[in-house]
Amino acid sequence: MARKIIELVNVSKDYDGTEALKNINLYIRENEFVTLLGPSGCGKTTTLRIIGGFESPTSGEVLFEGVNINSLPPYKRKVNTVFQKYALFTHMNVFENVAFGLKIKKLDKKVIKEKVENALNMVNLSGFEKRSVDSLSGGQQQRVAIARAIVNEPQVLLLDEPLGALDLKLRKEMQIELKNMQKRLGITFIYVTHDQEEALTMSDTIVVMRDGTIQQIGTPEDIYNEPKNAFVADFIGESNIIDGIMIKDYLVRFADHEFECVDKGFDEGEAVDVVVRPEDVKIVKEGEGMLRGSVISVTFKGVHYEMIVESNGYKWMVHSTMMEPAGSRVGLYIKPYDIQIMKKVAI
Amino acid sequence: MKRNWISYPYIIWMIIFIVVPLLLVVFYSVIVVTEDGLTFTLEFYKRFMQPVYIKVLIRSIVLALISTFICLLIGYPVALILAGKGVSRKNTLILLFVIPMWMNFLLRTYAWLTLLEKNGLINTMLSWFGIKPLNLLYTSEAVVLGMVYNFLPFMVLPIYSVLSKIDKSVIEAAEDLGANSYKVFTKIIFPLSLPGVMSGITMVFMPAVTTFVISRLLGGGQFTLIGNLIDRQFTTVGDWNFGSALSVVMMILILISMAIMTRYDKDREGSALL
Repeated sequence: MARKIIELVNVSKDYDGTEALKNINLYIRENEFVTLLGPSGCGKTTTLRIIGGFESPTSGEVLFEGVNINSLPPYKRKVNTVFQKYALFTHMNVFENVAFGLKIKKLDKKVIKEKVENALNMVNLSGFEKRSVDSLSGGQQQRVAIARAIVNEPQVLLLDEPLGALDLKLRKEMQIELKNMQKRLGITFIYVTHDQEEALTMSDTIVVMRDGTIQQIGTPEDIYNEPKNAFVADFIGESNIIDGIMIKDYLVRFADHEFECVDKGFDEGEAVDVVVRPEDVKIVKEGEGMLRGSVISVTFKGVHYEMIVESNGYKWMVHSTMMEPAGSRVGLYIKPYDIQIMKKVAI
Repeated sequence: MKRNWISYPYIIWMIIFIVVPLLLVVFYSVIVVTEDGLTFTLEFYKRFMQPVYIKVLIRSIVLALISTFICLLIGYPVALILAGKGVSRKNTLILLFVIPMWMNFLLRTYAWLTLLEKNGLINTMLSWFGIKPLNLLYTSEAVVLGMVYNFLPFMVLPIYSVLSKIDKSVIEAAEDLGANSYKVFTKIIFPLSLPGVMSGITMVFMPAVTTFVISRLLGGGQFTLIGNLIDRQFTTVGDWNFGSALSVVMMILILISMAIMTRYDKDREGSALL
């Protein structure tokens, strides 16, 4: 396993009495692509700004390669940031923007020129050196911001919702570009986003945050397939979340029906959250599944249809490539290992 | 476009009180009314070319430049503080700067008379320490002081307005790239604030170079500036032709300095304040 490069130990942050971060513990390994994911106000940007040095934690320690950097100002840290609104220097052209960090380090002019050209090449902006940043499109400005950061060869690159202002198509392209760049450069990326799809696409590790606390840390597969609680399940992808009662190990009751499942270790009779992904609810002929109900609505979503099936007063969201017309009676079937059972938390 | 007529009162106002007088000034500067009718002449401009008057012009420009420079020296740090953190104090500070501007300009300048006089406040206080009364009034320093005092807000406000619009994340980006606070200032904040500096310089230089009240009150008779010269032609001497020629010269001077400033300012926006 790679070395831990950044570690947050019991980090809390108060803004005038409101807690933005509550006792965060997190480590980030070398060459990892880590995404901090969560709704707005969950503390993900604050975490990033603490790592960048723009905020200092109210309590707790920030370690960089094992050394406490709590009081180190941003300009002395070996991290660089790509800001949400790019924050380009409008009084400089593209070359001067990218060369800024290198000029501060007083590198040789030739070296600067070479490095800047390399960096611009990497973000597909060769030949844009003399252009003013105002004349560039959003996507191009974003790439200048990335080039300006990576040209300094930081050990860690912090990205604060860098693709937020771009349109969907460009965003998808940039996601792949960024992921490739991270692999090629071999540096650690810490990426902040509220877009769960973006997080799933790009990350090695996802940190799901909510109200200043970490909900779950794991690989995209873990987080999607084994959400720790109903909040994570609901935030990552779409889910059917139903109240259930654990009857005994491997048997759960919800939607007025008993289901076999693969979970154990709960108290008998414990109230739990049951999460079933819409694509894991199979539509079968009426009478064949565990539940029966009628289709209330059908929405075409491109690859699949989204159907809402009402059964005994419960509404199930079902994703399927086969369409059942609204009003038809159907059965619903759920496999034991598609049923996720988790301890109750308030959403 | 259909509502053009709403602007007619204003346009008429401008024509009567700005365009017509301007044309009259130009007219009087080159035309003499004699019994035979109107004669074209450049005699008044020629008269201005005499060393006495050129000296007055140069003195006006030099004093205005010195005042502008001092205003910049004092005003920039003030603007920087105003645009900085600490919102609670900020509004009070801005208010302190604006309040004097609500008071009449003449009153403010008269107030300095009582401060600087032979038996004025400053000399009285100095006498407590056994220092002989100084000649503070009727010196070029007093004139510069009056200009700086009166025109300082015109330097501070445009710089402040540009500074406060600088995106904080741009400064953070510079810090992130390794710039300490000195480098952040010289490489980012100052270059980005230049449009405000340019507006400030223009807004101080122009009233300073044309003033005649400050130089008359604080400079006494000795310090004739071009403004005083013009004032005298119209009020005491009654030579409207020469006065008009001087006014045209001054207007050209202002237009030139404005042209220089706007050229410098062109691709950097910010001239909106003018």
